[in-house]
Amino acid sequence: MLNWIDTNPGRIYLVATLLPLVAFTLLLIGGGIRSACRPYRRQGGFADSLYWIFGGDKPLKTGAYLATVLMALAAVLGVTGLVLVLTDPSEGSLREDRWAERLTSWVHLGPDLPTPTEWDRKRESDPTPPPLVALKLELGYKIDHLAAVVFAMVTVISTLIFIFSLGYMQDETEVVVADHEVDRQTVGRHASGPHVGQHFQRRGRFGRFFLYLSLFCFSMLNLVIADNLFQVFVSWELVGICSFLLIGFYYERPSASTAANKAFIINRVGDAGFLVGIMIAWTYLGTLNFEEMFTRVRSPIADSHGVAQFPNQLIRANAAEPYRDGTPRYELPPRDEFGTGSHLILMPLVPEEPSHVHSPGYGPHRDQDFAVPASQNVTTYGAIPYWLFVVMGVGIFLGCVGKSAQVPLHTWLPDAMEGPTPVSALIHAATMVAAGVYLVGRSFPLFAPEVLLVIAYIGAITLFMAATIALVQTDIKRVLAYSTCSQLGFMMLALGVGGWVAGLLHLITHAFFKALLFLCSGSVIHGCHHEQDIRKMGGLRHKMPITAFTMLVGVLAIAGMPLLSGWYSKDQIIAAAMAYGLDHQHHFLLFLLPVLTTGLTAFYMFRLWLLTFTGSPRDTQVHEHAQESPRVMTIPLIVLAVFSIGVAWGWPLWNADASYLGEILKKSEPAAVAVAFAHEHETAHHYHLAAGGLALILAIIGAGLAFHYFSRRQPTPETMSAPGGAGYRFLLNKWYWDEAYDKGLVRPTIQLAQAAAAADKRPTDAPPPPGEPELPPKRFDLLTVDGLLNTVGQAVAGVGRWLRIVQTGQLRMYMLALALTAVLLLGILTALTE
Amino acid sequence: MTELGLQPFLALSAFLFACGVVCIASKRNAIGVLMGVELVLNAANVNLVAFARYNPAFQLEGQVFTLLVIVLAAAEAAVALAIILNFYNNHATVDVDQADELKG
Repeated sequence: MLNWIDTNPGRIYLVATLLPLVAFTLLLIGGGIRSACRPYRRQGGFADSLYWIFGGDKPLKTGAYLATVLMALAAVLGVTGLVLVLTDPSEGSLREDRWAERLTSWVHLGPDLPTPTEWDRKRESDPTPPPLVALKLELGYKIDHLAAVVFAMVTVISTLIFIFSLGYMQDETEVVVADHEVDRQTVGRHASGPHVGQHFQRRGRFGRFFLYLSLFCFSMLNLVIADNLFQVFVSWELVGICSFLLIGFYYERPSASTAANKAFIINRVGDAGFLVGIMIAWTYLGTLNFEEMFTRVRSPIADSHGVAQFPNQLIRANAAEPYRDGTPRYELPPRDEFGTGSHLILMPLVPEEPSHVHSPGYGPHRDQDFAVPASQNVTTYGAIPYWLFVVMGVGIFLGCVGKSAQVPLHTWLPDAMEGPTPVSALIHAATMVAAGVYLVGRSFPLFAPEVLLVIAYIGAITLFMAATIALVQTDIKRVLAYSTCSQLGFMMLALGVGGWVAGLLHLITHAFFKALLFLCSGSVIHGCHHEQDIRKMGGLRHKMPITAFTMLVGVLAIAGMPLLSGWYSKDQIIAAAMAYGLDHQHHFLLFLLPVLTTGLTAFYMFRLWLLTFTGSPRDTQVHEHAQESPRVMTIPLIVLAVFSIGVAWGWPLWNADASYLGEILKKSEPAAVAVAFAHEHETAHHYHLAAGGLALILAIIGAGLAFHYFSRRQPTPETMSAPGGAGYRFLLNKWYWDEAYDKGLVRPTIQLAQAAAAADKRPTDAPPPPGEPELPPKRFDLLTVDGLLNTVGQAVAGVGRWLRIVQTGQLRMYMLALALTAVLLLGILTALTE
Repeated sequence: MTELGLQPFLALSAFLFACGVVCIASKRNAIGVLMGVELVLNAANVNLVAFARYNPAFQLEGQVFTLLVIVLAAAEAAVALAIILNFYNNHATVDVDQADELKG
């Protein structure tokens, strides 16, 4: 076992990924056996005892503990792996061998072919290059610094959330759980029948919750370690289905089940784009492996004459007169127009002659044109229309837009608050929304400059819009939900403007403090007996000191106060945005929006904290019953608070650029980032202090305003529920996105469906009720579907009726027909042979 | 003795065949129809033995098939007579024009 891991330390990650899956499988089997044996309970015999062994009526806690322990084990492995990755001295291909493996024989529709690297090794014995085959799906893992850091983050946060859930979901351990929310939402539904006067009751679902959580974690971990786009897509969908199950955990509540549907459907929209991207990559690049795709689209670092002129770039060329044998030919544009052209040149995966590597360029040995052979193999050039390449990038990004809740697919995220709070923490911090940003970071070299601009603008619009909405929300979890949207916008923006490290650093730091904030809100909700309206809270600081203090840490971190983790990442993002804005004056909005939003962020976060924990209680009933949560819930808070403070520290502490975590991430930054944004990085370096200072000043102003409005002037419950002005209502209704979707898409679809149903509705399909005349069929239907089918049927019946006449039953007629036919055939044959 | 050649045999066969067909088509009596069928079958037999005699490639096949057809004709006659008898038992006639119960 040790030897097995020692040769390939990456296998630690494999084990750690599979642990939650083991938990999921065990819980699934256990629960399945129990429910299968349930009919035999109290009947004695084997099935009966099995039923009681697997928990009996009361939800079994063992499964939850098992899942938590396995998750903790995965976290230990994740952290160990991170340490090993950081201390591993190996370089180059040796490192590749140690930390990456591919299972190529999983699904492949073509002949069994060696991968380019395998072929590279055995080229001496068999010099014919293998063809470039796209019909192959692989499983594999590849651990670089980014994957290791994200993996450790996901496992640690998930473990803490598991522990927190043990306390938070305590209600679900009861045999009978009364869900009052269901009664409130479905007034009148239980009014008749046997349930009159009863509350809605169901069995506790403690084990099921941990079952879903485990599957969720497995999917996310698999996504993180995946080395190819297809595996990412599979995990992507698994994450989607898990979020559906968890958001709809209280599925008896109509609001929860619609929220789950909404999340699932909106994510499908994004996934459709993702699939388009995958298929374009599959068709043109011939591979879905990340490294191989990057090799295909980006020019090599060096040719055999030394360093290439354009390393790690997208080389574009124009279609030229084809060769005489019909092979397409492409020509580089003149030197001063480099970067334009109708096609993108795809590089070979492996050089044909290792001692003589061509690299496109304008030197003395320039290769001005490229032949694209009809049958491609791993050593030949190819070409993809540039617009299709852009579509591919936008498609992949669209998937990320759906998962990471960016405009215009962000509407599911606030609704996803219907799930239990630990789920919100898991979705918002560690798993689902992180997946989108992670994938953008992962596939960065596949993005054309146009796509990056789209990413930046989508991010900028999202971060500003979500922050403005968060200013006025009154549900404690919804404020946090919009805050998540906004912070994800920051990450996307950073990735789009070349702050690759900044964006992913923010992903990590945000994961910690957002998990902290959500768990704190969960603790508040738990302590206030499921009250989520901040208008009814206030003064809870003395009742729940640990929650209040840890949440303050989270608020300070997200607001970007110096020396807390959020400061380091946000500072870098603002610097990157500022550099981009300065270098491209017409995109100055990309700088303006995030800087403004830092102020907004501080305002709404302090508003949330002040309204919840300070001042005088606005609802005495809530306040009196409030209590601090048990230790199983507060300890994760404290741990997360520690992480939120120090996870991004480096030396010197006061230099935002010196974050140690940032340095680690920097090691796995694709070379394409530095190539594409060389000048911006230079500018960012110069204006770093100015950007950070500006952001800090705005954040302090925002915090000060919040303090002025919500602490010095105590708002009364009446002023808080006043209707307010038009702008206030506009924000309270979330910029009317839901209404617009409802009017623009949902209603027309439903109307179309109803119109189609009405057109198809034939009253003759069912016999009319007695006493009523039979209605005539609809004219539309007579001429289309039904009419067509009936015509065919009637035609066949008519032909049959006519043929009956011929069948007289008279032997002599038959004989005559036979003889005459024979004569006729003979005549025809004679005529034909002459 | 001079060779007759193939044609007279074929002409005889065609004549027999035509007689048979006309017999089947015109007779109302089931026994008469059966006789017509026999004529048709024997026309085929004449054809076969003629070819067996004059075409070396069919020497054996012609003979064998003729024997086969004779056996077949015997079996067919037996079955047909049985049907006719039954028909007579039920309808007290052997007029085939009366046998139209299977018409569509």
